[in-house]
Amino acid sequence: MEFGLWQVWEAGWVTAILRGASITILVGVVSMAAGLVIGIACGLIKWARIFPLSLLVDAYTSLVRGVPELLIIYLLFFSSVEFVTKVVTAFGYAGVAESGYAFVIAVIAIGAISGAYSTEVVRGALAAIPNGHIEAARALGLSRGRIFRRIIAPQMLRIAVPGINNVWQTTIKDTALVSVVGLQELMRISFIGANSTRHPFIFYLIAAVVYLIITLVSQAGFDGTERLLRLRTGK
Amino acid sequence: MKLKILMLLAGLVGGMANAVAADGELSIGTEGAYPPWSMSDASGNVTGFDADVGALLCTKLAVKCHFVVQAFDGLIPALKAKRFDVIISGMSITADRKKEINFSVGYAELANMFVAAKGSDLAGITDVDALLKALDGKKVGVQAGTTHAHFLEKRVPNADLKTYDTLDQMQIDLASSRLDTAFADQSALQDFLDKPDGKNFQLVGVEIKSTFDPTLGEGIGVGIAQDNTELKAKIDKALCELIADGSIGKASQKWFKTDISRPCN
Amino acid sequence: MELIQLAVPVLLKGLGMTAVLTVVSVLIGFNLGLGLALMRLSSNRLLAGFAKYYSNVFRGTPLLVQIFLFYYGLGQLSLIKDNPALWWVVSDGARCAVMALALNTAAYTSEILRGGLMSVPVGLVEAAQACGMSRMLRFRRIEFPLAIRQALPAYGNELILVVKGTSLSSTITVLEITGYAKRLMSQTFAIFEIFAIAGVLYLVINLLLIAIIRSTERVLMRHELLSRDIRSAPNPEGSATVL
Repeated sequence: MEFGLWQVWEAGWVTAILRGASITILVGVVSMAAGLVIGIACGLIKWARIFPLSLLVDAYTSLVRGVPELLIIYLLFFSSVEFVTKVVTAFGYAGVAESGYAFVIAVIAIGAISGAYSTEVVRGALAAIPNGHIEAARALGLSRGRIFRRIIAPQMLRIAVPGINNVWQTTIKDTALVSVVGLQELMRISFIGANSTRHPFIFYLIAAVVYLIITLVSQAGFDGTERLLRLRTGK
Repeated sequence: MKLKILMLLAGLVGGMANAVAADGELSIGTEGAYPPWSMSDASGNVTGFDADVGALLCTKLAVKCHFVVQAFDGLIPALKAKRFDVIISGMSITADRKKEINFSVGYAELANMFVAAKGSDLAGITDVDALLKALDGKKVGVQAGTTHAHFLEKRVPNADLKTYDTLDQMQIDLASSRLDTAFADQSALQDFLDKPDGKNFQLVGVEIKSTFDPTLGEGIGVGIAQDNTELKAKIDKALCELIADGSIGKASQKWFKTDISRPCN
Repeated sequence: MELIQLAVPVLLKGLGMTAVLTVVSVLIGFNLGLGLALMRLSSNRLLAGFAKYYSNVFRGTPLLVQIFLFYYGLGQLSLIKDNPALWWVVSDGARCAVMALALNTAAYTSEILRGGLMSVPVGLVEAAQACGMSRMLRFRRIEFPLAIRQALPAYGNELILVVKGTSLSSTITVLEITGYAKRLMSQTFAIFEIFAIAGVLYLVINLLLIAIIRSTERVLMRHELLSRDIRSAPNPEGSATVL
């Protein structure tokens, strides 16, 4: 095969791929942050069984987890175009609506998906906190806010780290699905490169390697965090 | 639950929707992956026959052109959602699409054809009915959401239809012999035949005109939102002038080596 | 209403393909995954290392990339095209999707089964050894049943991921539920309704799957139920039949 890595480099695809990878990471991080906010809020609702809200959270998590991610992205992308444009324009970013449109949809879709999985992780972590700790804090007369800040939140975070790691790995991989609606992230760039050079094998292989690097590096980061948390709590 | 809220909000927002077009700018939705109609490069510039038609139109209307690249089957939903003002993307005018959006006068028309491997059974057929019959059970490639796809779904329901998001993907599969044949407009297929991948292929000698079946549309038009009648009037007038003075014909010569412009009536 | 009458029969046509894709790739993927889990736990460093890298690579890259790499990437290599058996797999979108899904789920399955196998108490295995059970028999009668019981809830989640994963095969021309949904969308433009109906279809499949797994779990855990019964009403014959 005459077409090799050198040609990919020469035609400037490497910078395009790196640009795509940075967009992938950006979408991943922003969606994960949104997902965590959703996850902590919904997880608390589910854990505390706040009545009508917990039903809605249940519906949300089972809906999102039971329907293919691709379908969710298609649905949001094709049907809510107008909605997003309006929201963004209302905040005075009409220009962003044009260029950042696919990005906004991507973050909404991926954030909603990672939020559903984070909810389960947070709920599980909350349920794993020994009841005695909370009762003891209550007996000491700590206020509810302080119990949450000092007792519940730190333990929850520590227990949730491995689960959050799993959600992150899934989230970063789910970003590849957004390529189908045209966001120029890693997968989309590889797709364009594969089609225009007619060398899909090399381009998708490069994409796979870049994703692997991202997941392995972040895995190492999470392992480090876990060790650190374990050291600090002396376990 | 989220869906419900979304639906509610979408409804709310829909009520107050109006054209977002900034004054003095015409935003044009196009596919960007349909040579020689509309091609976009890595930096997002659009070239091709439709880019030229758009530019001519903008000059005539004295506005600035702004292209938005978007997958073909997402173009109509996006236009309805006012993401851009018009669609110029080799889109055929069909009855189904007219239910969703409005069209300008047709500005071009091309023959629809099949491509097949040289020397294959299909390659030698010269009669429309024989050809359509021969497609039963064959793997036929077609682009998703196009008039070609709808035509095949209707006329050859027993063919093994493979739909692709882009023509590039279809060409890769044609070249790797995953497909027996593919259906598209003549210009797109010629583009494939001119590439090294296409050297073992030929056009099947049957031209299927849009008069043969209304699913194939009434020529290529500019898509415009249904409530935007003012813009439609302006564009119709400009297009007729551009067709009459030969500007569109000239652009067509540049990209298709032949005049595919459709006389305005 | 009219739309439902139009859409449901078409989407049900896709349901068959979704089911075939799921069942075939789960069957292949489970056996591969079991093999990989055993390799991973074997004392042979080479085998264990291979299984580990395999699992990391397939779990560390998006399924969509794997599907595209297999379909468009491998389809380009003359090495594959000249080999009739390999080309038979790669030439067809559905077979290619099954291959990608099976190899992908094998990686996750191997991790789940490894966890299950590691949870089998050493004492039980030693006891079986002491009874003179052969390695094969020990695996079949003691380790595997205990491991699968432990791994079932996690494996249930994996099955749901496979069902959802099949929707990606619509991107390589396979007409399953999502593929038909996209086709319907470009015909009717009733985007929201079509995708909502397709979503409901997937939800129903997954709810059914969950119900099946729950009842399997109950069957596998019947000893616990029984032992509870026994405690409330001692019945020596009853406990004998359990064995």
